[in-house]
Amino acid sequence: MNETDVERQRVLKARAAVLAREPEKSGAEGERIEIIEFLLADERYAIESVYIGEVYPLKNFTPLPCTPAFVLGVINMRGKILSVVDLRIFFDLPNRGLSDLNKVIILHDGGMEFGILADAIIAARWISRSSLFSSLPTLTEIRAEYLLGVTKERLVVLDGGKILSGPDIVVHEEV
Amino acid sequence: MQWFYDLSTRAKIIFSFGLMLILLAIIIVTAYTSITAIKGAQRELVQSGFQSVLDLVEIRSHQNHTRAEMIEMTITSDRSKLQAMAQDIKERTSNINQNVKALMELKKGDHKFITKLQELADTREAYRKTVEEEISLIFKGKNEEARTLGVGDQDNRYNRIRDITYELGKAEEESARQRILQSDQMAKTAALVFLIVGASAFVFCIVVTIVLNKAIAKPLTEITGIAERIAAGELDINVPSTTRKDEVGLLILMFRRMVDNIKGYALTTGQIAAGNLISTVAPKSEKDVMGNALAIMGSNLREITREIIEGVNVLASSSSEIMASTNQVASGASETAVAVSETSSTVEEVKQTAMVSSQKARNVADAAQKSVLVAQVGRRSVEESIVGMGRIQSQMEAIAESIVRLSEQSQTIGEIIATVNDLAEQSNLLAVNAAIEAAKAGEQGKGFAVVAQEVKSLAQQSKEATAQVRTILNDIQKATNAAVMATEQGNKAVEDGVRQSKEAGEAIRQMGESIDESAQAAVQIATSSQQQLTGMDQVALAMENIRQASEQNVTGMRQVEITVQGLHDLGQKLKDLVGRYTV
Repeated sequence: MNETDVERQRVLKARAAVLAREPEKSGAEGERIEIIEFLLADERYAIESVYIGEVYPLKNFTPLPCTPAFVLGVINMRGKILSVVDLRIFFDLPNRGLSDLNKVIILHDGGMEFGILADAIIAARWISRSSLFSSLPTLTEIRAEYLLGVTKERLVVLDGGKILSGPDIVVHEEV
Repeated sequence: MQWFYDLSTRAKIIFSFGLMLILLAIIIVTAYTSITAIKGAQRELVQSGFQSVLDLVEIRSHQNHTRAEMIEMTITSDRSKLQAMAQDIKERTSNINQNVKALMELKKGDHKFITKLQELADTREAYRKTVEEEISLIFKGKNEEARTLGVGDQDNRYNRIRDITYELGKAEEESARQRILQSDQMAKTAALVFLIVGASAFVFCIVVTIVLNKAIAKPLTEITGIAERIAAGELDINVPSTTRKDEVGLLILMFRRMVDNIKGYALTTGQIAAGNLISTVAPKSEKDVMGNALAIMGSNLREITREIIEGVNVLASSSSEIMASTNQVASGASETAVAVSETSSTVEEVKQTAMVSSQKARNVADAAQKSVLVAQVGRRSVEESIVGMGRIQSQMEAIAESIVRLSEQSQTIGEIIATVNDLAEQSNLLAVNAAIEAAKAGEQGKGFAVVAQEVKSLAQQSKEATAQVRTILNDIQKATNAAVMATEQGNKAVEDGVRQSKEAGEAIRQMGESIDESAQAAVQIATSSQQQLTGMDQVALAMENIRQASEQNVTGMRQVEITVQGLHDLGQKLKDLVGRYTV
């Protein structure tokens, strides 16, 4: 009973902390962008929401033959056939055991449209562009290329436009 | 006469009876010759005299018949009668011929008679021929001629035949008479001879008898008298001496020797009877039965007397030893009496002990009966506990079932939580999508963004709530699993309990049986010790009897001592008695 009380206190305190958080100052520090924060292989990533059509639970995907390893397959989303890319393989991220990978984030820029896999969608939030730091030297080359910046909280913000227009991700393969 | 006495008896008898036999033979021969002579004379008389007279008479008869029939034939005309008569005449003629022939044979030596007979035969032949002629004439019917032929010569012939037969008959009668006279004379002579010889034999027999009587019977009678006296046991006899050399003389001589022998044996026997066993008897020969017997008797008596002396010595020493032994036995009997008294008191003590043990055994039997009751109660309790364990088992099973159901239901709750979680996730996604859409709308979408933010917050909260529920559910599931395990273990424990209580029940049942058996055994022991007590009583009684018997033994031994003393005295007496015999 005591433990339950302690737990409850903790939960309430956490909520209070969240509510007490100071909202980001808008305008003063320049352009603000809305990002969608997500988890991938135990790391937090984010993409600008302007490149995001919607988020969608992954179900009934069909593997495609004769595609590179990062192409997981295709899904049917309300009648649209979209390819799904696994960024872990694309970015050569180390495989750290199992992950959910049950969410698909649909990227689009009017021309390209495809989904990327995510473990979980955390939230949508606003950040100022100026608060982003340039890429870390430790990041590998391919990741650095598609990177927009890193926040103070070490949130990796990916450049959706580059991913969408990147030559590497376009598959030209003939069998 | 001495030579006769010197002859052996056999010779005497043969001599006397030989003479008698000779006389008898003379008589027999004389008689036989006389009788044979008389018999011959008589046969001759019958054969020649008597037979010839009969034949002559027959011839005459036939002749007369022939004559008569011839005369009848001449006067008869009946043919058949004539035939019969002729046949008869023929037969008679052949008869006459036969008679004549027989006479011829009979009187072969008598010339005078034969001559006459021949004349008769001739005459008869002539007569026969004439008769035949006559018969043939008669058959021819010439009866007159036949009659003529029948007279004259034929008549003469007939007369002549009759005369000759008469003459011959008379001569035969005369000669027969002569012979009878001769035979009478012969018989008279034979009788005379017979008489003389018989008388002389009679006289001789008498003489021989007297002589034999004197020579044999008289001395035998004398010896018989002596033998009679010897048989009566008299030995002081003088047998007369004799010079005779025949069997009687030998008999007298042997008799003397026999009497001497018997006298010698009697003397020896007398010495033996007087106790002198040293003298020995020399038997006369191997076959001297009495001498041998006396010799054996002497040696046997010596042997026996020696053995008796030894035996008497042994008897004397043995009786001394027996006396000593009897003394020991008497003291032993006294000791036995004392020991028996001690044994009797011991038996009394044992009896007391047996009584105590009997009492104890009865107590044990009672205790065993009580134990039996206790064991029965215990058995009933164990049976009840088995039933209770069964009930516990079924309840445990019910509990396990409930827990399993509970587990299943928590599983269901888990599924529901998953669904709720999913819903929260989806709500979260919806909130994100709503935020994206709000961003797309720009300034107008700001309010919507706030709603989206709230939705997202709700989704977050519900997710946290589900997480908490899941945690709790996990705890519940763990607890349920533990409960399942516990019930499982409890079930096993209950099973073990059931089994153990069954085993305990079995053990108590066996214990009950054992106690039953012990109770029975205790009862038997009680009975046995009761019997033992009775037996000890009997033993005590028997010991009393034994005590009395041993006292009687002591008394008896005293009597035996006296008897043995008497026996010892007897042995001494016997020793003295045997000492009289010199071996």
